Amino acid sequence: MKKLLLWASALLLCPLLRAQEKPSRHFDIREVTVVGQRPMKEIGVQKTRFDSVMLKENIALSMADVLTFNSSIFVKSYGRATLSTVAFRGTSPSHTQVTWNDMRINNPMLGMTDFSMIPSYFIDDASLLHGTSSVNETGGGLGGAVKLATRPAGNLGFGMQYIQGIGSFGTYDEFLRLTYGDDHWQSSTRVVYSSSRNDYKYVNRDKKENIYDEDHNIIGSYHPTERNKSASFKDLHVLQEVYYNTGRGDRMGLNLWYVNSNRELPMLTTDYADELSFENRQREHTLRGIFSWDHLRDRWKMGAKFGYIHTWMAYDYKRDKGNGEMASMTRSRSKVNTLFGKVDGEFAPGEKWLFTANVTMHQHLVESVDKNIITQVGNKAVVGYDKGRFELSTAVSAKWRPIDRFGMSLVLREELYGDEWTPLIPALFLDGVISRKGNIVAKASISRNYRFPTLNDLYFLPGGNTDLKKESGFTYDAGLSFGVGRKGRYTLSGGVNWFDSYIDDWIIWLPTMKGFFSPRNIKKVHAYGIETNADLSVALSRDWMLGMKGTFSWTPSINEGEMMSPADRSVGKQLPYVPEYSATVSGSLRWRTWSLLYKWCYYSRRYTMSSNDISLTGYLTPYYMSNLSLEKTLSFKWADLSLKGAINNLFDEEYLSVLSRPMPGINFEIFIGITPKWGCRRK
Amino acid sequence: MKRHLFYLFTLCSTLFAGCMEWDYGQTEEFGGGDAGEMITTPSASGDMPEGHVTGSGLFITCEGNFQYGNATLSYYDAEARHVENEIFKRANGFKLGDVAQSMVIRKNVGWIVVNNSHVIFAIDINTFKEVGRITNLTSPRYIHFLSDEKAYVTQLWDNRIFVVNPKTFEITGHIECPRMTMETGSTEQMVQWGRYVYVNCWSYQNRILKIDTLTDRVVDELEVGIQPTSLVLDKYGKMWTITDGGYEGSPYGYEAPVLYCIDAETFRVERQFRFKKGDAPSEVQINGTGDKLYWINKSVWCMDVTAKHVPARPFLKYNKTIYYGLTVNPLNNEVYVADAIDYQQQGVILRYSEEGDLLDEFYVGIIPGAFCWR
Repeated sequence: MKKLLLWASALLLCPLLRAQEKPSRHFDIREVTVVGQRPMKEIGVQKTRFDSVMLKENIALSMADVLTFNSSIFVKSYGRATLSTVAFRGTSPSHTQVTWNDMRINNPMLGMTDFSMIPSYFIDDASLLHGTSSVNETGGGLGGAVKLATRPAGNLGFGMQYIQGIGSFGTYDEFLRLTYGDDHWQSSTRVVYSSSRNDYKYVNRDKKENIYDEDHNIIGSYHPTERNKSASFKDLHVLQEVYYNTGRGDRMGLNLWYVNSNRELPMLTTDYADELSFENRQREHTLRGIFSWDHLRDRWKMGAKFGYIHTWMAYDYKRDKGNGEMASMTRSRSKVNTLFGKVDGEFAPGEKWLFTANVTMHQHLVESVDKNIITQVGNKAVVGYDKGRFELSTAVSAKWRPIDRFGMSLVLREELYGDEWTPLIPALFLDGVISRKGNIVAKASISRNYRFPTLNDLYFLPGGNTDLKKESGFTYDAGLSFGVGRKGRYTLSGGVNWFDSYIDDWIIWLPTMKGFFSPRNIKKVHAYGIETNADLSVALSRDWMLGMKGTFSWTPSINEGEMMSPADRSVGKQLPYVPEYSATVSGSLRWRTWSLLYKWCYYSRRYTMSSNDISLTGYLTPYYMSNLSLEKTLSFKWADLSLKGAINNLFDEEYLSVLSRPMPGINFEIFIGITPKWGCRRK
Repeated sequence: MKRHLFYLFTLCSTLFAGCMEWDYGQTEEFGGGDAGEMITTPSASGDMPEGHVTGSGLFITCEGNFQYGNATLSYYDAEARHVENEIFKRANGFKLGDVAQSMVIRKNVGWIVVNNSHVIFAIDINTFKEVGRITNLTSPRYIHFLSDEKAYVTQLWDNRIFVVNPKTFEITGHIECPRMTMETGSTEQMVQWGRYVYVNCWSYQNRILKIDTLTDRVVDELEVGIQPTSLVLDKYGKMWTITDGGYEGSPYGYEAPVLYCIDAETFRVERQFRFKKGDAPSEVQINGTGDKLYWINKSVWCMDVTAKHVPARPFLKYNKTIYYGLTVNPLNNEVYVADAIDYQQQGVILRYSEEGDLLDEFYVGIIPGAFCWR
């Protein structure tokens, strides 16, 4: 009923909007970047960049959602507003390094990043660095790196934007941005608050409810329609940014990002517990802060950054003992404090050379308490660890472009984790223009890379293994890109890239003879494949614009390790939960102030067993997902207004991304946004 | 323009329309139906007497991966050397659940304890069809029957043992376990001697509890080493438990594991067999005649219950894998060992003769952990 009301409201508003419409809006088809303008810093780099349209398309989207529909990397989601990890090219989530304004934000305990906790509206600039290209930014990205950044709003005077979203399953999203800017100062405050009961209905195919007779004999059964139980969430994000530009080549910035998340963890489809008898909840408070300074001159620049991350995480699993008292079954607490520092410099003696150098350090201090126990003598003790690790990464590079058509870059990186240095990590990048006519550029790169064990890998109790070796990777890739177009008419660009990588001493957690899990260097993985992308923008007429984007990936990721026992059937097989094929397509159609966006993504069948066996209980069918949104903007003298309706899971698919984790069927959300005009203007 | 839009719409609807296909809810008939040939059904015409085990068929509960809900049940016909996997799902059209922990049979009904689904399913052991379920358990591990109308269910993360009525599938009460909280609660396997049921307390515990079945109260407890993993009763009324000794760095302690022989009558330790520190013995099992013990300690070991020393040589040598489960055919002393391989693929069951010769091997589900003879 609520859904109907929402849509009825939207429809009723439409005639009003028509009356207030401005006559038209003109679309800008940018000119294709000419080959000579390729940045020296990106020689040979395989990079996917996300424009602000993708990032700001919907305030309710997390970066996990953005990456799912706009990139070739694999997003593994445990549910709506639940853990979502990303992995490049058939590697694992901990092989993806994630930086925010150059500070690495991977959880040092787990090595991975939960992208469901990163609202896309807080990110102004995002890019993926595939494989070897990540060595330019950081070490440890055996799959690649995700680079996230904020930017000054660039407004003069005061500005404000407020958007409210109301959606299915009791979902409310609020977004507020206040900005101020003058010739030197830029300030921005962003707040996102999302909450939802998140109790969507689904037919539980993993269960049957029985119908009994008076003697308790089963006389029938059916798959029950259930709600996603114990799944509500409340997430608050606040981002404060202040930038100061001297106008004489010095820029300073301060970014503070606070997260307060309170999420229930949804029950499995196979759970028969009474949801009211149990509480399964995860809470997180995180503060990330960075102070940056950049000093720019004609031929050189240098910069420094200092940052701090504090994360407090709590996991509670409780049950009602029958008297209304919730008794704790599991009570995990962890505190992570990270200090960050970076110094970097660039020097360009001429047009043909660019030298860069940087030193980055992270000091992690982790306190993890996983279980309270009563010891044999009756005292209380905790099971956990309290450890720290210093991590240093330093890199120098030389980039050389002797002629417009050819460039090469050599990066040398070395890293220190604790008291262990990596061997020298070399990365070589080449690019060359094959044809100016179609802007056809060939790229190639090769690198080594290493990833150190996480702190949980080393110290978790029970199971932490301090004898673990670092994982080592060797990757090479090559590709072609092109771009054609006519200003004001159309642009067409695309690329195809082949990669081949080997990872040795892959760390996986396996049970020990004692029964608990412990990490070991076991696997040897060969991941290879092809990534392609294409982007088309066409101005169909003065008022119409069509955009199409697509990606397609083929990523076999094969276990080439030793057999773990004579019966092992996993060698030579695709890694579980890694799709061999994936694709995305998004199409946008704009007419005057109306905008229609259609997004689609596909993952091929994912095996849930390392032997790639297909069983009734353990397989995930190919995954197709479609989302649709329609937006209307209005411009008044006093404000700009926007009204948007979004339909997720357009075809009401029953689907799973992970076994036993139900996903929502078709669902709706409407957004109303207002941006008052207080004399604010773009710089 | 309209033509463009029409083409665009057609393209979208044909290419991207929903087409995820799932194969839901289909069921198969076992025990006399099409697939019933594979089952020997000695009791198809009537109930077996209580406690009678034919040794002809073996149920294997496969835990599946924790939090992935992919536990399964397999059935192996020992005479025909034929295995059928995923029989619960195939017979009932829905999943068994998350972490199938154990199974026992009582009067043609198999009781499968599914730990992280908080449920115990009762199935007809001939048709594998569900006949009932007990729900709202905390984290059930094992079920032990006292009568047709009373059984105990041990739990992890709960300091209570639940009392259930298998006839009505209801929880009727609970037994408070001393010196445990919900967080440190752990009760495991049960054996019965007269009116008393004994239970080993495993996770961060070091005790055997003695429960009076008339009053449903813990009446005594016996301290053993760190983390007793399993419990069996031999033909002489002696209980055997084996501790794993904890792990290095554990605040609860770390010591050499021990195999204990405890007199059920006096509830006192009679003999101890100490292992090397760092060893990880588990899965104490007893043969059908109650005079031979088997356990896993990297290799598989066998010892007479009257022996004074642990044998110097194993029954089955370590085979570059971690054996995860163990059982002995109660009729002919054949030994079945479960190899979970990498815990992410179908595990394999290795069947050995009483002399240790490999007789058969077959794949079952993910992480085969427990067995149940019919």
